Amino acid sequence: MIKMVDIRKSFHLGPVEVEILRGVDLQVEGGDLLCIVGASGCGKSTLMNILGFLDIPDKGRYIFEDREMRDLSDSELSEIRNRKIGFVFQQFFLLPKLNAADNVCLPLVYRGMGKRERDEIGMRMLEKVGMADRAGHKPSELSGGQQQRVAIARALAGGPSLILADEPTGALDKNTSRDIIDLFWELNKGQGMTIILITHDPDIARECPRVLRMEDGRVFSD
Amino acid sequence: MLIGENIKEALRSLVGSKQRSLLALLGIVIGIGSVIAMVSIGTIVQNEALRQFKEMGTDILQASMSSGRDSRQGRNEFSLRTVMDIPYECDRISLATPQTSVYGKLQFSGNRLDIPALGVAESAKELFKIDLSAGRFISDLDKNMFYCVIGSKVARFLRQNGLSDPLGEKILFNKEYFKIVGVAPELPMNSMRPYQINEGILIPVTTSFRFPRAPKIQQLTVRLAPGADVPGATAELKEYLQARDRVEVRITSAEELINRMQKQMQMFTLLLGAIGSISLIVGGVGVMNVMLVSVSERKREIGIRRALGARRADIQAQFLIESLILCFVGGLIGIALGVGSSYVISRLSDWHFLVSLPAVFLGVGVSVVIGLFFGFYPARQAANMSPIEALREE
Repeated sequence: MIKMVDIRKSFHLGPVEVEILRGVDLQVEGGDLLCIVGASGCGKSTLMNILGFLDIPDKGRYIFEDREMRDLSDSELSEIRNRKIGFVFQQFFLLPKLNAADNVCLPLVYRGMGKRERDEIGMRMLEKVGMADRAGHKPSELSGGQQQRVAIARALAGGPSLILADEPTGALDKNTSRDIIDLFWELNKGQGMTIILITHDPDIARECPRVLRMEDGRVFSD
Repeated sequence: MLIGENIKEALRSLVGSKQRSLLALLGIVIGIGSVIAMVSIGTIVQNEALRQFKEMGTDILQASMSSGRDSRQGRNEFSLRTVMDIPYECDRISLATPQTSVYGKLQFSGNRLDIPALGVAESAKELFKIDLSAGRFISDLDKNMFYCVIGSKVARFLRQNGLSDPLGEKILFNKEYFKIVGVAPELPMNSMRPYQINEGILIPVTTSFRFPRAPKIQQLTVRLAPGADVPGATAELKEYLQARDRVEVRITSAEELINRMQKQMQMFTLLLGAIGSISLIVGGVGVMNVMLVSVSERKREIGIRRALGARRADIQAQFLIESLILCFVGGLIGIALGVGSSYVISRLSDWHFLVSLPAVFLGVGVSVVIGLFFGFYPARQAANMSPIEALREE
């Protein structure tokens, strides 16, 4: 499903150019559950952004479901993000002015889907993450764990083929983290969802069938 | 597409930051309001002036000595006979009256008032559309008689001195006793209607010659025959006067005056509109300012939306619609304010109020254009933001 060949990316930090990714090769199959670990600043998030079509590499090839990233226009990238990718962020990134249901439906808005259909899907997704009874709550009225559940429902709403989670438990306490991780495991095992997870937590990594370690802008298999 | 969602989103965001939206709104309201008010008042004043003309009729010509005492033949007046013969000698003219001017003191029960007197012929009643409120007008049979028709100012003066029914009474003007035969109401003024009608008294033109320093007929007014054309009548009158009295005359038509006035009024309206537009531009800059703040405050939101699949065009539309709504609502309030204030001003000035429809459409159009123009740059800035940089924003 995903094939990356010699992906390179540099950033300018003031006058200095820093190469964050120094030739990443990666292959992910449908249904994989993949964990990426590594020290902070090693390029995990940059890799994640490229995987999620939020950022474009300087060099290298990225093929996603037989499509070459470098051939795509900005609005095609947007459409892939919308239809193929579900993001889960460490900081949840829910829109504070929308209630849980509207947050979940947001990706569907950009498909031009009608309100009734959207709401139906939104409710189903909230049920899936056990948040149906909080549909009308604003993010500020929810706990961190609950917000992350809503964010996961939002990632699922578009019916993506890949879930990208960037330290999804980084802002949560131990017990809540467990619940969230269990939810991911369930999505992968129960529904065959392809999931790529960035984490600092060695316990979570240990449970993962496949773990990649990042060091100095390169990826090593465990 | 997404227009409905974008409008909802824009309203939510505008209501969400009330204070900021209100301030931006205020700029647009004042801008549109002042343009509408200024243009409306310009139009109202223009209409008012035209109305005063039209009430008297536009088929009027005025002839006067050109450049005062320029008289190679030594003459600088029209003869009474020449003037009285005009309707018979000129086919295109149906009425004519000479005009002579005398200034003097009006005395009544020990009080004095400086007033002008206008010497006229009987035809002046129809020419200047003077509908008397009491009595009769000067007749050509009143030749040399000390009869007068008083205007509204004199009537007021007499009333203040205890004479509420002046008809048939005698007043002393320039040491001569005049019998009041008629009272004229206050008439709207225009440059074809002699100001003496309101300000002073009307007397037979022949009587005016009896004053020690006899006035000369240096001005006359005529009305065209039905269906006569203005240029033809002007030429005919000019030729006739020059041939009969050997004088240089200048002829002014009401039509010409109206055209000249209309041009001036249009300039005036344009000027007012331009002054209003400056505040409109300031209002637009205010909107841009608010939108730029809104964009930079919502970088995170933009990043999230982009990550969820919003295209650049979606983000741009979202912010553009927000500024459009802001300007449109501001425009509507501004129109109400502008129309309202021009109503108040026209009421206070005793003008006929009217809503200038072009100004209203202009207001709506301009506010939409302002919204697009001043919203475009901020919206573009939002759309061109890189998604990850936007997400990284705290």
